[in-house]
Amino acid sequence: MIVSVNWLKKFVDFDLPIDELTTLIGARLVEIEKVVDLTPKYKDVLIVRVVECAPLEGTDHLNLTKIDDGGVVEGVERDDKGLVQVVCGAPNVHADMLAAWLPPTSTVPESYNDSEPFVLTAKNLRGTVSNGMLASAKELDLFDDHTGILEIDKEVPAGSSLATVYGLDDYLLDIENKSLTHRPDTFGIIGFAREVAAILGKTFVTPEWLANTEPTYGDKNGDIATPKITIEDPSLSAKYLSVVLSGASADRHSPLEIQTLLSRVGVRPINAVVDVTNYLMMLTGQPLHAFDYDKLVALSGGEADIRVRVGKDKELLELLDGRTVELTPDDIVIAAGETAIGLAGAMGGANTVIDKDTKNIIIESATFNLYKLRSTQMRHGIFSEAITRFTKGQPADLAAPVLADAVELIEQWAGAKRVSDVAVSVSESPAPVNLNISAEFINAVLGTSYSLKDIRSTLESVEFAVVEKSATELFVAPPYWRADIHIPEDIVEEIGRIKGFDEIAPTLATRDFTAVRPSGFDELRQQVRRLLVRAGANEVLTYSFVHGDLMKKAGQSVEGSYQIINSISPDLQYYRQSLTPSLLNVVNSNAKQGYEQFALFELNKTHQKIRGLDEEQVPIEDTLLALTITSRKTKKTAAYYDAKKYLDYVADMLGLELEYSAMETAPGYSISAPFEYRRSAMVKEKNSGVYLGIVGEYTNTTSRAFKLPVSSAGFEIDAHGLYEATLKTGHTYSPLSRFPGTSRDICFQVNKNISYDSIMSAAKTAIKNTELLVDVTPLDIYQDATLETKNVTIRVQLTSYQKTLASSDVDETIAVIVGVVTEKTHATVL
Amino acid sequence: MQGIAQIQDDLLKRVGESQDPRAVLKDPEYRGLYSKISSLDPSERGAYGKAVNDLKIVVEAAIEERVSQLEDLTVETIDVTAPWDDNAAQVELLRTEQGTQHPLTKEMEVVIDIFTRMGFAAYESRQIDDDFHMFGSLNFPENHPARDGYDTFRTEEGFIPPAHTSTMQNRILKEGKAKLEAGGQIAGISYGRVFRNEDVDATHEHTFYQCEGVFVSETANLSEMLGTLRSFFEVYYGQKLKIKTQPGYFPFVEPGLEFAIEKPASLGGKPGEWLEMLGCGMIHPNVLRAADIDPTKYRGFAWGGGIERLVMLKYGIEDLRHFESGKLAFLRKFVS
Repeated sequence: MIVSVNWLKKFVDFDLPIDELTTLIGARLVEIEKVVDLTPKYKDVLIVRVVECAPLEGTDHLNLTKIDDGGVVEGVERDDKGLVQVVCGAPNVHADMLAAWLPPTSTVPESYNDSEPFVLTAKNLRGTVSNGMLASAKELDLFDDHTGILEIDKEVPAGSSLATVYGLDDYLLDIENKSLTHRPDTFGIIGFAREVAAILGKTFVTPEWLANTEPTYGDKNGDIATPKITIEDPSLSAKYLSVVLSGASADRHSPLEIQTLLSRVGVRPINAVVDVTNYLMMLTGQPLHAFDYDKLVALSGGEADIRVRVGKDKELLELLDGRTVELTPDDIVIAAGETAIGLAGAMGGANTVIDKDTKNIIIESATFNLYKLRSTQMRHGIFSEAITRFTKGQPADLAAPVLADAVELIEQWAGAKRVSDVAVSVSESPAPVNLNISAEFINAVLGTSYSLKDIRSTLESVEFAVVEKSATELFVAPPYWRADIHIPEDIVEEIGRIKGFDEIAPTLATRDFTAVRPSGFDELRQQVRRLLVRAGANEVLTYSFVHGDLMKKAGQSVEGSYQIINSISPDLQYYRQSLTPSLLNVVNSNAKQGYEQFALFELNKTHQKIRGLDEEQVPIEDTLLALTITSRKTKKTAAYYDAKKYLDYVADMLGLELEYSAMETAPGYSISAPFEYRRSAMVKEKNSGVYLGIVGEYTNTTSRAFKLPVSSAGFEIDAHGLYEATLKTGHTYSPLSRFPGTSRDICFQVNKNISYDSIMSAAKTAIKNTELLVDVTPLDIYQDATLETKNVTIRVQLTSYQKTLASSDVDETIAVIVGVVTEKTHATVL
Repeated sequence: MQGIAQIQDDLLKRVGESQDPRAVLKDPEYRGLYSKISSLDPSERGAYGKAVNDLKIVVEAAIEERVSQLEDLTVETIDVTAPWDDNAAQVELLRTEQGTQHPLTKEMEVVIDIFTRMGFAAYESRQIDDDFHMFGSLNFPENHPARDGYDTFRTEEGFIPPAHTSTMQNRILKEGKAKLEAGGQIAGISYGRVFRNEDVDATHEHTFYQCEGVFVSETANLSEMLGTLRSFFEVYYGQKLKIKTQPGYFPFVEPGLEFAIEKPASLGGKPGEWLEMLGCGMIHPNVLRAADIDPTKYRGFAWGGGIERLVMLKYGIEDLRHFESGKLAFLRKFVS
């Protein structure tokens, strides 16, 4: 919303620099997004009297005028009477009128923000000098009227500044609507001014006509039946008022001052009747609507029979803007008899629109269920000034005083007369809010020491009714427009805010000494990140939502994903089921940037429908760790082992031992979908038996779809599983021996289909019961492509706690190992 | 058109048997379909062209499938238990100098570390949640206009990718209730990824990270909140700081504030330059009630702010989109 500072000044008297004002408003009411200074734009515009006006010879529509600028402008050519010559093409220019003049060297306000603003000169028009120009409302950037020049409607001396006379020497404050969602009163300039007054320590009195919730409506000059109003469900509208006026002319305009005020705050002036409804809405926050009375009556069978009801299924309504909407039972509808004539609070219907033939109008002043209006707003995409105000929850008591003022202004500005009694329908009267407040409570919540007197005067400055109940307690009743005050904490906010939160001294909470340790899972994740970074990998974060195509590229089915239904971007259609597709998605772009060989990992949450809901009935979340390692260099060896190396390294560092099993078929999990099962392994932690995930190369389809470099592989494992495994295992430590150890290498020749692990497992089984410290590590795997066998060399490291081992002791252990391995794998020792 | 169907069947059959299925596209029979277009009467061209195009789509899909099928036959198994490949050298890890941790997770660790040292337990925030935790338990009734400010995504089932880490607040309060009622306090932070349905540009992201905190005791007040937050930022920036606030509206606090610090010297700040850091306030009684905590006995304060902002200020990062871009050129600037 836009707040005009000059409009504020009509209600509160202040004179401090704009930046001080905005700082104070920012600290005590609401953040101001932007301040626009209108002063430079209008500084040169003068009100002048057209003294002479005659057609310019040799032209069909131009007039030559002589204007009186009170002699204000210097350096301009004048005749002997001191008048300035201006050529004007507007049809409405005539002698003895007051007009707005843009003198030479001034800038046309309409072009003020253009990259090349239009600066006026004294120029020669068909042999006649024209000094500057007489301007239209459009050229003055006041409002969109270019049918003629602006006619000044105030009797002021020639040479007066347009800005001073019409308050255009203004600052406009731009405020985000949602920052004041909770303060319906501040959506009217009077409410905003009240706050400014309190912040500045000025007294403020709400105008009598607005404070009086039971107003009188002046004389009735006609005899039209009082409209009948039926609120079909009390929850739809708390209050609905309506009155008929006759004789409003659609050609009459509101005072120019009002038109400029409206357009400054973003509302287009239309005609006097519409301007009154908009002016009062901007002034008080209460939207009004005017229907064509005769059209309404025709629709409801000869009498004004207004009904407030819910929309019917499939019911259609053509709105003022020409759109036809399909109503639902969640919309509130204004109907004439059976026929819908308006979407309540949002927009009127085309069937009762006011036009040039309108003779009688019927004005609505009402309040509607804000939650229903908000859903209407979202459903039909209507974001008018009116619904913006209604959805903040305007109080029902505002409807009558604003209607009374509307009747008066329409009579004044549009020449209409009230011809019916005012119909009032009240379905719900909100219980008045009364709160007992102690200084002790306020100070306890804020950590302050305000006196009861201080609190009282602060509340009174914003027109709360305050009665001293006892020496320590106040009885507080907010004014009717403060629909946001319900509980004692709201009073605390009022005090803290108006007194200034920044006046409160920061302290620290009294706490005990108990230390808090990060959760074990958090610590594990930190450790894993550090380990992978140490191993040269780069941590990435990628989006939690993915395009369906990304999942398809990775061989996953979108059906398993939670689907986002309202995304503004097609890239965010589904919750991802695993991290690998997102990682693979950034591999190619990095490779193209010239990174030859790199490893990316991500540790993040994933979501799959198949995992179901937890006890809170929300989806179970997994935390996965995925890594992909890739190289553009063609390697003879399988990329699988690069990925496995990383996994083994992490496991080693965490004191875990992993078991890799080959797969017979593709396992069918979404996490394993991108992996080629014949070149991948399922991974389990050996000692705890915890299943972790998968490591391997990607399928040909996936590699091609993601344009992966030739050598790419990765893993994806369950981080919670990893944590569980560390809890079950922990580090194993054996005391050191005082004696030196010795080592032997053994080379086993086995059939090429015997797995490495069957040799290692056999060797480890063999040494299980020895009292020696034994360590077995791989040395070499050799396979001659022409043979059916392969050679696996391992190194056995032996140490005794009792003695330095003799060659015979070593032989004995080696013999045991060889025995078990050859038995289990049919190996021969080379 | 009859002819086209016949040709399609024929091409599909050939693709299915071919060892080089892509060669089928070079077949004269296929290419002839195209050259025929110009010889047709203009009125027939549209329908014919469409039929040929449909055929092309079908045949190309079949070719892709056949290519995959052939490729699949060539996949060799490996010994998945071995530490490295046959005849290969031992596998080496990449050079440690090229490893980097993501700046957001690193900064989050710093933030969590300071708060845990201040006595706040850390909880990771959920990435999918329900309306109750995202809104209902936080004093946002159904259709409340304040919901507009959150631009939430929704799933088919009505779940919500949380738009703030406050989605954990009700859980933290419930978990701490017993301790509170035994004479203790609730002190917790929740951190993690949140989502807003926004268009992405240099200063807007639909995915970002937040850290939120809650403190509840018998005597918590707004002065303590300001002190706690100032203390955090002073530790974080390693210097004394000035703070300022402005009223802010969040349904789950009353009063609610926006909290700013004077830009620290370490960031090149000058006096009078302010940085808006977070939103905060005294926990609304309805929020305590939703966690079954008696608001007449206990009070609390809560706050929440973004992590990206801290990181961007610290390093002078110019574009929010870098964080989730996965670009090594960006990531490798944050050497551990």
